[in-house]
Amino acid sequence: MTRGDALVILLAAALVGGAYALLWSPAAPATQVRIVSGEREIARLPLDEPRRLEVPGPAGITVVEIRDGAARCAASPGSRGICQRAGWLRQAGDMAVSLPNHVLIEVLGDTGRFDSINY
Amino acid sequence: MTGMKGIHRGTLWITALVLAALLLAGCERPEIHRERFFAFGTLVELNVYTRDADLAREGADAVRADLARMHRDWHAWKPGPLQEVNQALARGEAIRADPAVLAPILEARALSLRTEGLFNPAMGRLFALWGFQSDQAAGPPPPQEAVEALLARDPDMADLHMENGRLSTENPAVQLDLGAFAKGYGVHRAVDHLRALGIEHAILNAGGDLRAIGRPGDRPWRIGIRDPDGQGVLAGIEIQGDEAVFTSGDYERYFTHEGVRYHHILDPRTGYPARGSRSVTVIHEDAGLADAASTALFIAGPEHWPRIAARLGVDKVLLLDATGVAHMTPAMAQRVAFRKEPAERRIQALPGDPGPAGGP
Repeated sequence: MTRGDALVILLAAALVGGAYALLWSPAAPATQVRIVSGEREIARLPLDEPRRLEVPGPAGITVVEIRDGAARCAASPGSRGICQRAGWLRQAGDMAVSLPNHVLIEVLGDTGRFDSINY
Repeated sequence: MTGMKGIHRGTLWITALVLAALLLAGCERPEIHRERFFAFGTLVELNVYTRDADLAREGADAVRADLARMHRDWHAWKPGPLQEVNQALARGEAIRADPAVLAPILEARALSLRTEGLFNPAMGRLFALWGFQSDQAAGPPPPQEAVEALLARDPDMADLHMENGRLSTENPAVQLDLGAFAKGYGVHRAVDHLRALGIEHAILNAGGDLRAIGRPGDRPWRIGIRDPDGQGVLAGIEIQGDEAVFTSGDYERYFTHEGVRYHHILDPRTGYPARGSRSVTVIHEDAGLADAASTALFIAGPEHWPRIAARLGVDKVLLLDATGVAHMTPAMAQRVAFRKEPAERRIQALPGDPGPAGGP
């Protein structure tokens, strides 16, 4: 094997590795939580500082809890608990929504995998 | 200009020009501008790919205003043009409907006939009976006699007539609810409005259902289809050009009563939530049709969906049944990339369509 061959193999391996990292890396862990009330972003907070936040809305108070690199909707006025059922939000792009209270809790991170989610 | 000196000067100029062009391109690099707001009774997200931030903002304002107006016009249980039509129909009177509501009603009627009545917006009374004509349905399910009594009166879009610009029906049980169609119809028109403003690359997502146009730069739009079982993504779809992706799922609106879950996709033949499907995703260039089709195919179920899809001219369908099997058209199978493997993949050509392999 010549040095040229080795270089080609090395470059090819780097290319495959790069493509793998770019296209197949697992969902990125979130680093921040973004809280929107109505049409206004009211907070953008790091996920590594534990805290509880009360967000007022037209139906009452939505409680957002941040702990251990994740955020969740701990309490919300909707009678069916849809916001709370979203559970702990850890992966960038995860979100919990309270429609009656017009509150959106979304965790952000370094991900560009999907432009939009269909459900 | 002489020999070496000339060449050097030319190289210099070209290099400078290329650098300037690159720098200028860098200054005005297009990017995705994202806006989220509440409209149409749901969470709306608009992505616009452009170098003009003002244009993106103008687009968001236009969409917000459009959706608010449509939501008011087409609301089935709050005062507005649709409620006026319903009140007149209940009294047995003909009504010259507001043009804002007449167009979607007529289009919904045509679609209803093509779905053999599975998409039946004349069943407003059934949705009300189940409590789904409220912001939060809580149950319990209605008495069976009430459901049967309504089905016996057979409200159907074929009972709705249009004569001399006036809507009428001889069946006073007909009450219109455009719930399974209005969002698609509205999203389609709102995106047309974005185009008229000069926006070429965008995704408008209203409560999970979306229409995408153009592409963000040199790659397609990437859409994730959420797993009906939870927060993760079931599959990815790439879009470039102009397509809508609509999903109807049993997880969207429901209530639980005495341990039984009742979802909002009601089968007009039984009067009860349709069984057999968990979710249906449809890709089509017409968002209104995609919306109605996803509902009709969900109700048709794992056995009968291909016939209805063929009648609607919908060739990209993914139906996830109650046992976890993914039923797909060949065209959908080519487009969808699963992130979570379904229990089984079943690819089925539509009747009248030999499919890529030639078929029977």
